[in-house]
Amino acid sequence: MTFSTLRRGGLIATAIASLMASPAFAKVTVLGWPGGPEETALRAAADAYNAKPDVTDANKVELLFFNRDGFWDKLQADLAAGSKAFDANLLATYSIGRYAPFMEPVELSDEAKAVYGDSVLTTMQYEGKQFGVPTDLSLHFMYYRNDLIEALLKDDAAKAKFAEISEKHLGRKLEPKNPDEWTWDDYAATALYFTQAVNPDSPTRYGTVLQLKNLLFNMMVFQSLPRSYGGNWMDESGKVTVNSDAFRKGLEIYKLLYDAGATPRDSLSYEFAEANAAYASGQVAAMMQWNAAASDLTSKEKSPAVAEVTETIAPPAGPEGRFTHIHGLGFGLNKNAENKDGARAFIKWLSSKDAALIYARNNGAPALTPDVVKEVAADRPDLVKLGAFASKYGYVMNGGTSAKALSVYELQAKEFTGYWSGQQSLDDALGKTEKGMTDLLK
Amino acid sequence: MTTPSQRAPSSEFRLLAVPLVLFLLVFLGFPALVNLVYSVSEVSFETLRSPEITGFANFTAVWTDSSFWQASWFSFRFGLLTALLECALGLFLAIFLSPLIEKRSWLMAILMLPLMVAPALIGLMYRFVLHEFVGPVPYYLWTWFGASFSFLGPASAFWTLVVVETLQWTPFAFLLFHMAYQAIPKEIIEASAMDGAHYRHRLWYVELPLMAPTIVVALLIRFIDGFRVFDNVYVLTGSGAGGSTASLSIYIYEAFFKQGAIGKAVAASVILFAVSFAVLYGLNALAARRKGAR
Amino acid sequence: MINALRWIVFAIAALAMNFPILVTLSTSFKSARELSTNPGLWVYAPTLENYATVFTVSDRLNIFLYLANSIAVATLGTLLAVALALPAAYAIARGKLGERTLLPFIVNLRAVPLIIFAIPLYMMFQWLALLDTRLGLGLILTIVNLPLALVILVNAIRDLPGELDEAALMDGATRFQILAKIIAPLCRPAIVTSLIFGFITAWNEFLFGLMLTTSNAVPITVGASFFFAASGGGVQWGVASAVMIVGALPPMLLGLIMYRQICGSMTAGAVKG
Repeated sequence: MTFSTLRRGGLIATAIASLMASPAFAKVTVLGWPGGPEETALRAAADAYNAKPDVTDANKVELLFFNRDGFWDKLQADLAAGSKAFDANLLATYSIGRYAPFMEPVELSDEAKAVYGDSVLTTMQYEGKQFGVPTDLSLHFMYYRNDLIEALLKDDAAKAKFAEISEKHLGRKLEPKNPDEWTWDDYAATALYFTQAVNPDSPTRYGTVLQLKNLLFNMMVFQSLPRSYGGNWMDESGKVTVNSDAFRKGLEIYKLLYDAGATPRDSLSYEFAEANAAYASGQVAAMMQWNAAASDLTSKEKSPAVAEVTETIAPPAGPEGRFTHIHGLGFGLNKNAENKDGARAFIKWLSSKDAALIYARNNGAPALTPDVVKEVAADRPDLVKLGAFASKYGYVMNGGTSAKALSVYELQAKEFTGYWSGQQSLDDALGKTEKGMTDLLK
Repeated sequence: MTTPSQRAPSSEFRLLAVPLVLFLLVFLGFPALVNLVYSVSEVSFETLRSPEITGFANFTAVWTDSSFWQASWFSFRFGLLTALLECALGLFLAIFLSPLIEKRSWLMAILMLPLMVAPALIGLMYRFVLHEFVGPVPYYLWTWFGASFSFLGPASAFWTLVVVETLQWTPFAFLLFHMAYQAIPKEIIEASAMDGAHYRHRLWYVELPLMAPTIVVALLIRFIDGFRVFDNVYVLTGSGAGGSTASLSIYIYEAFFKQGAIGKAVAASVILFAVSFAVLYGLNALAARRKGAR
Repeated sequence: MINALRWIVFAIAALAMNFPILVTLSTSFKSARELSTNPGLWVYAPTLENYATVFTVSDRLNIFLYLANSIAVATLGTLLAVALALPAAYAIARGKLGERTLLPFIVNLRAVPLIIFAIPLYMMFQWLALLDTRLGLGLILTIVNLPLALVILVNAIRDLPGELDEAALMDGATRFQILAKIIAPLCRPAIVTSLIFGFITAWNEFLFGLMLTTSNAVPITVGASFFFAASGGGVQWGVASAVMIVGALPPMLLGLIMYRQICGSMTAGAVKG
């Protein structure tokens, strides 16, 4: 089970005890991201910190978790109202500008630069100041079915069919390629080829699964496509550049795949969980998804249909190269903390090399520099890939850490899904997004 | 005509209502006041304690926001449709099944179960139930009929949501109608049967008119609840592709927390409150006048 | 013949309305492995591991605490709402006090999303030290429950013949005595109805529970969602189903035990216009 770290105890005894639980005394309370590998890693790090001889009882770390649904909304209310319920709290790159006014810059350990590298440290910076220690990195992989692609690459009849389908839908004869060499057009052609609505002989019902629910996180998955065509939120001068050929191209590819039935009809209500379930059923050939899905999709227990034939690579290339959205999760200091010194000490320690290695060995996903990642490469080969992809392909849109970044994603989600679902034209969608973003980012 | 209640000293009545009014003043008075200030201010999460009063810009922003009208229209359509469907179905079940339930009242319990589950959880359950690859409904449709139906696609999402809401809350209407039906005095029904009235005739001219007040109340309650729908829709489709399934509650919630547009969110709810107060006040006055006329 | 048809209609209605609950029940007995291969209703290899997970207490997840919190806040939120609403309902129905303003005003609270009060309430609770306490959440649930309780009670009292009050007044009783000795006992079914619907509504409330609690007073709806997140943020459907069943059980049992009461009070005309 996922909750393997849980201590099993006398149920009733604990239940009674917890009813009488007394408030914590002068500890350092840290608010973490619940439920996933991030929680396991943070627990291990906190245990290690509390075991250090120089940490006094009054400064021991105690962890606090809410739930994921509405986590950021609740954190927003807590911080804005000046909550003292926690001393250090979770922070994300895309929300840093929104939360920074309620937090204080922190000082990292001297090793931080060598452990994480400058580009990863910037995911926790706002207006030039360091607001947190970057513990986990999120980016996107292209997940694909190796067995299907290999069979396709060997089969001449299939290649002819592939060319025919790509010419019909994309206007160009394409050849099947190894996914590591894909452009976005190759990805689209492959997705169409493996779709029964397009190609009745396809072994899978759908060629891909897109997450198109009107939800801000889905825009992060999408935007690597326009980015690889040179798209950005703003140019250097601060002018909003969303109404561009790059975004046009990206939106059109998604629309084409949705209209051709290469992704389930219900994709417009899909998010992370639904897309994973579709892929894990074995009825999908390839999808763009968060790196966090890797452990489930390659676990024989959880995804018996696809675990052994699933490969992960960086997203496809556009004219400007390959790109993957990155954002960091990390920990920063609550401005209204009751035990600021204790929290500062923990955050500083958390940015040390020792802490980063403990975090990495216990399921966390820190993006470490090549020198440091070597030490855990045997246990966590995926971290090598994560670090490499982040440094080679990672990007943050101009304005992606501003105070209004979340609102920009919200706006895009609404307008873009409006286009994909056929409720408005591409020109309207881009026009409204441009106007809204100009208001938000001025 | 003067009844004793009108002659009685009203100070006693005042005292009786005081606890409720005090409670509301303490716990809603302050928040309501703060919200009224917010609605005419430029305010964000950073300036919660120092909003800058700027006039009616928030109201203008809401009034001219097409999303606000889209959400209002969704809420209205959704509330009306679900209220009508729930009441029609509930009425049919109450009358048609009454011979069964009169004898075995435990059957009632089975039909009431859905009321006991939080709408948010019902929404989550349907996310699973309707999923093309792990949900039972698409699975059986596929294995038995070879059909793959899109339940939450842009064309069908609204109707799926209506069905989900209707299936959960029909029991509410059913319950009310069942009781009202049972409360019709047996003598009336027997008398009209004696007159040789046909069953359909009796239903239409005797039973339904007697149930009319309950039907009106049920329609009103269900309309209000459908109009302000939040949990199940939010869990299932969020605000929907292009905002197509945003109810007014979802619009306000998202303006508040997702966009941080606190003034706008509060202004929208002030408008909502004012309009629905006016409607309720009007209905009340209408009912009072009809009662007086009788 | 027609009776057979009635049974068929009953079966279809029961199945359709309870379908998501049946699916959830079935899912809660499936292992993660079976879930990914068997979307049907039948469970081939039933397991209790999901329930074991739900009932395992750790320093973060404690279903017993959430259930105890929900019982406490829902009870408080329901009893207080009815205690406040009953005398006011009497004043409204008999004294015609606030019939035109107070009543529609409070009923209106059901139509607006109360969450807009979240931020001011949050700040107020901070001053009053009510954040993350059962008392605090119970007070909010009282507000949530007031509209329906008031409507039900006002209508119930209006249905009682006015001669009752008149006779008692002649005998020199005060309004308080009439309310306590005559009106309240006669309204018992309506009071029970308000209590039950109130308890269910309070039990099922989510947003205020999320916003106003962190650890000590977390109610079951919010606590249940603690169990949903799996590695990487997906949903562990098996565990989620088990916790949903556990969380829905108390109001279901309450409903099943009390449904006669509900029926009885409805018959007493609690909801007549």
